[in-house]
Amino acid sequence: MMRWILVVWSMMVLFPCAAPAQTIDSETAETIRTLKQEVKELKARITALEARQGAPSPEKEQQPPQSKASEPAKPQETAAGGEAETLNPERVFGIFPGIKISGFGTVNYKATDARPPETGLIGFRNFANNGFAVGDVDLFLTSHLTSRAMALSEVVFSENAQQEFEVDVERLLLKYDFNDYLKLSFGRYHTGTSYYNSVFHHGQWLQTAADRPLVVEFSDHGGLLPSQSVGISVTGLVPAGRLGLNYIFEYGTSNTHRPNILDPNADEIAENNGQATTAGLFAKPDWLQGLEMGGSLYHDRINPNGGPFHIGQTIGSVHLVYLTPRFEFLNEAFLIRHHLQETAQVFNIPAFYSLISEKIGEKWRPYFRYQYVNSSSQSPVFPDINLRHGPSVDLRYDYNDYIAFKTQYDRTFRRQLSTINDLLLQLAFRF
Amino acid sequence: MTRYRHFLILPAAVSLLLLASIAFAGPEQEDVAVIVNPQNQVDSITSAELRKMFSGEKRSWNSSLPVFLVVRAPQAHERDVLLNRVLKMTESEYKQHWVKKVYSGEVPREPLTLFSNGMQLEAVRTEKGGIALIRLQDLRAGVKVIKVDGQTPGSSTYPLR
Repeated sequence: MMRWILVVWSMMVLFPCAAPAQTIDSETAETIRTLKQEVKELKARITALEARQGAPSPEKEQQPPQSKASEPAKPQETAAGGEAETLNPERVFGIFPGIKISGFGTVNYKATDARPPETGLIGFRNFANNGFAVGDVDLFLTSHLTSRAMALSEVVFSENAQQEFEVDVERLLLKYDFNDYLKLSFGRYHTGTSYYNSVFHHGQWLQTAADRPLVVEFSDHGGLLPSQSVGISVTGLVPAGRLGLNYIFEYGTSNTHRPNILDPNADEIAENNGQATTAGLFAKPDWLQGLEMGGSLYHDRINPNGGPFHIGQTIGSVHLVYLTPRFEFLNEAFLIRHHLQETAQVFNIPAFYSLISEKIGEKWRPYFRYQYVNSSSQSPVFPDINLRHGPSVDLRYDYNDYIAFKTQYDRTFRRQLSTINDLLLQLAFRF
Repeated sequence: MTRYRHFLILPAAVSLLLLASIAFAGPEQEDVAVIVNPQNQVDSITSAELRKMFSGEKRSWNSSLPVFLVVRAPQAHERDVLLNRVLKMTESEYKQHWVKKVYSGEVPREPLTLFSNGMQLEAVRTEKGGIALIRLQDLRAGVKVIKVDGQTPGSSTYPLR
């Protein structure tokens, strides 16, 4: 009996002791791996520095640790002052110095019970009730020119209803940040008419849902807002303490084209926009990380298809967003006002969307969205929209940091037309 | 059997102590200092400002000096402190956050990620607007340690450890 008690006791003592020994081994292996990586990086760095300076640089002597860590350490060398001395790793190690390339892509499957089918958008064929499409292939390039200046380019290859690809320069910007209070951008930008348009752009991997709400969909995909302009954009912080107030001002030329989403045979509507001005304010208060609220006002004059009507277009929007890595709550409301110069008629088009989602574990993210758009059937700009509203119920699965799978069910109620049920499956990725 | 009882109490107590020490032993908590270039006039920073800087929201020290972020690669203690104490994000969420930031055009690139504290020190010495987190024991001359929420590394209420 005593012998068994001793055996059990020995196992209790020895087994837990063995476990840390294995942990130490794996930690040592990890340390060796990290050190090897560091040596590799340092060698590459020394080679690059020697190449840049034309001569090997002497290794700096290691100084003893400070006796009092709270006191500033004495300067060992004078810091470089010029922007040319930046340690930008892309310049040292990059294959294409100064340019960083990344991309986003999707593969989509859509099934709909719409009879007759609506216009095939984002690559889906016209008159088809189901099918696959690639959608947008998004190539994104940035170049850090100086510590304050950068160039940004977003080129999108969009699949159309004939399943051919069209190239579109979505964004091309030269940005210069004087400081947090004044940031300038020149070129082609996505307008600040909505929060969604300012944040999500074309990379569908970035957005939780499989598609954009109709009101903020890109205009060439049937959306209602002028999503692009060429001109100048100024943004920055307003000194307002913990309120975190920011401003945005844009002045540019839009050229909005949108398809008739009800009739695949109809020509696109060219709005022939004049100069557009956008002004907005939004707050990101310090006291609740992730909260953003604000609004913007956009104005331009349009002449749809060069027809008889000249229209003053004013778009007001407000948003309330709470965004953390695990929780997402997006709300935006719009009022699009069209004032016909010739007849003094006014068309008001209200719209909103709301999306809520929460991450479950590390991979799953269910979400719910409701959207609403209400346009008059007499509208010279949006004759196809009418009243459309409905929920979307969805589930996103993140396989890793690069690949996500989304499945989305939409139910859309339409005034004077039958209700539509859509199923959208999407494989979204970045590279 | 009674004479064995005392013999059993001692090993049982030793076993329990060993198990407890193994169960509760964690990595030693080390203070992580916030370092900047000596030419930077800033001597103190708040936790909120630190979060804004390392999340890319605050991008300049003052009207003329852009912030240059330097971070350690994954698995370093400084990286853990940055994610858990400053940003409150997982590694995956951190990567996604910076992809979104760069893609929105707000920042030209993600922070410079380095594999050693020696490289971090060199980067902060070279860049006027440089800022990094570094383990106290790896601190060397040529950089300036700034206070966080008025606390210096080593004090009992220092927030970064």
